[in-house]
Amino acid sequence: MLLPRRARLPASARVALAVVVLLWLVAACSPLFTERSRSIRLDARLQPPSLEHPCGTDDLGRDLLARIVTATPISLAIGLVAAAVSLGVGFTVGAAAGYFGGAVDLALSRLIEVMLCFPVLFLLLALAAFLPPSPATVIAAIGLTSWAGDARFARAEILKMKELDYARAARAMGASTPRILLRHLLPNALPPLIVSAAFGVGWAILAEASLSFLGVGLPAPAVSWGGILSSSANWIEEAWWIALFPGLALFLTVSAYNLLAEGLRTVTTQGGRNA
Amino acid sequence: MTAYILRRLLWAVPTLFGIAVVVFLLLHMAPGSPGAGGADSLRRASAKAAEEMRRQYGLDRPLPEQFAAWIGRVARLDLGESFVDHRPVSERILEALPHTLALNGLALFFALALAIPLGVVAGGSPESVFDRASGAVLFAMYSMPTFWAALLLQTLFAVRLRWLPLYGTAADAAPAGLAGLQDRLAHLALPVTCLTYGTLAFVARLVRSGVAEARTADYVIAARARGASRGQALWRHALRNALLPVITLFGLLLPALLSGSVIIERIFAWPGLGRLYLDSILARDYPVILALSLLSAVVTLGATLLSDIAVAAVDPRVRDGAAG
Repeated sequence: MLLPRRARLPASARVALAVVVLLWLVAACSPLFTERSRSIRLDARLQPPSLEHPCGTDDLGRDLLARIVTATPISLAIGLVAAAVSLGVGFTVGAAAGYFGGAVDLALSRLIEVMLCFPVLFLLLALAAFLPPSPATVIAAIGLTSWAGDARFARAEILKMKELDYARAARAMGASTPRILLRHLLPNALPPLIVSAAFGVGWAILAEASLSFLGVGLPAPAVSWGGILSSSANWIEEAWWIALFPGLALFLTVSAYNLLAEGLRTVTTQGGRNA
Repeated sequence: MTAYILRRLLWAVPTLFGIAVVVFLLLHMAPGSPGAGGADSLRRASAKAAEEMRRQYGLDRPLPEQFAAWIGRVARLDLGESFVDHRPVSERILEALPHTLALNGLALFFALALAIPLGVVAGGSPESVFDRASGAVLFAMYSMPTFWAALLLQTLFAVRLRWLPLYGTAADAAPAGLAGLQDRLAHLALPVTCLTYGTLAFVARLVRSGVAEARTADYVIAARARGASRGQALWRHALRNALLPVITLFGLLLPALLSGSVIIERIFAWPGLGRLYLDSILARDYPVILALSLLSAVVTLGATLLSDIAVAAVDPRVRDGAAG
């Protein structure tokens, strides 16, 4: 059971969900804007927002709105996949630590502690800069550096659940460890994990933008919100719109996912699982 | 209590070892090292850099030997020398450290000084207008990318209004005396603001939920029954418990601040550790990268130890539970 039956998302989270769906629709339509986003017009450099260019143009006269729209799918996709990787690693490590306990728990808990000690961006930058530049690298870098929080969380959940009656019953009936973990404990740990994942998507999108902003994100032909923002710093005296609009898109996306996560948390904790 | 501290210190030893291993792995993933894959010629370190790595880290030796030699040098505080300017890494770090301490110290101070009262007032009357409004603002802060906030603040206060400098730590011709101090503070204003608000939002939300939960707890109601005013009950009794998670997470605020520092120092051309780290990443200056990763993780470990011990000191449940 994913969510309590009569659970309803709070209004803010429903709005956020609508925004997320809308963003994915924009992403789906974005190929229509690719050509427009690439057409360089040096006679229309750094134009402020107008009817023709609702978000203005950049330093090469390219339509900023088209560029922002073109950057949507990669940003959303990286956010989703990187968050999934991070959750996968985090759940595996955390669940193993919580379920097996003893020496396994001690070792894995130290590993989680080690990861939490590093500034995430330090490791993220090192991975992104040292591995060959590609979307896969960005995903791997985010996924492999952000899992510690999820792991800590999963460990606590599994630790709590493994002594509950249904888990003991499954064990008593001779169910194998992977079966208990995947068939009995995972489904019950799912609601909090989904919340964690939704926050993870917001974080991953932000992380990708940060990497691109710092110049070690997606390689050249790909357009990224962080990349556009990075170039906007050069035109801060002339063109405020290059900083405003891509950041707005990023902010909207991240807050929509965070708001959705918060709504899901309210539902899963108030819906009285075993509270 | 002593038993708890000893136990906690003992646990830190394998963590410290793990930190060293992760940093050592970073070195082996670096282009130019034998462990690094990938045929991307642009990213491969030059032959000279590869030669230098072999010299400084003995990369042609067996792994355990390399690790032992490296740890041995680090333990003697020998962090090697920078590939870029061949100065000792420790010298470069000590140069940048005060700038980062000023920035992060102020950010941490303002974050806590604003977040705690905000959290107590909001949590003291949940669902009130103030709680809802501050909640919405804190949520927006929480989701706002620092680099975007920085660019917008620069546009508004430095470009449009011309109240504050765009970047740097001081004017080129820095005035002396009081005017000099004023100039430095003006340069600090924007970067400190940008570095503060994320931590502020995080801590305020933590304190708010703690106070909101504690205000209906028996001991707070009992305090009210004994004649404590509403303010006293919140500030003296509810806040104490609400601060526990803040103390617990205090150590982990440091790496978050340092992450933020990388971005903020780049935007505001601030010559601190974050800037040094980013420059070293872009220049493949491995000795600096390793030293900074190691130092930041070790400092964080120290800070988490201190916060764990602090929590145990104020909360008997923790020390008895853990020591028993």
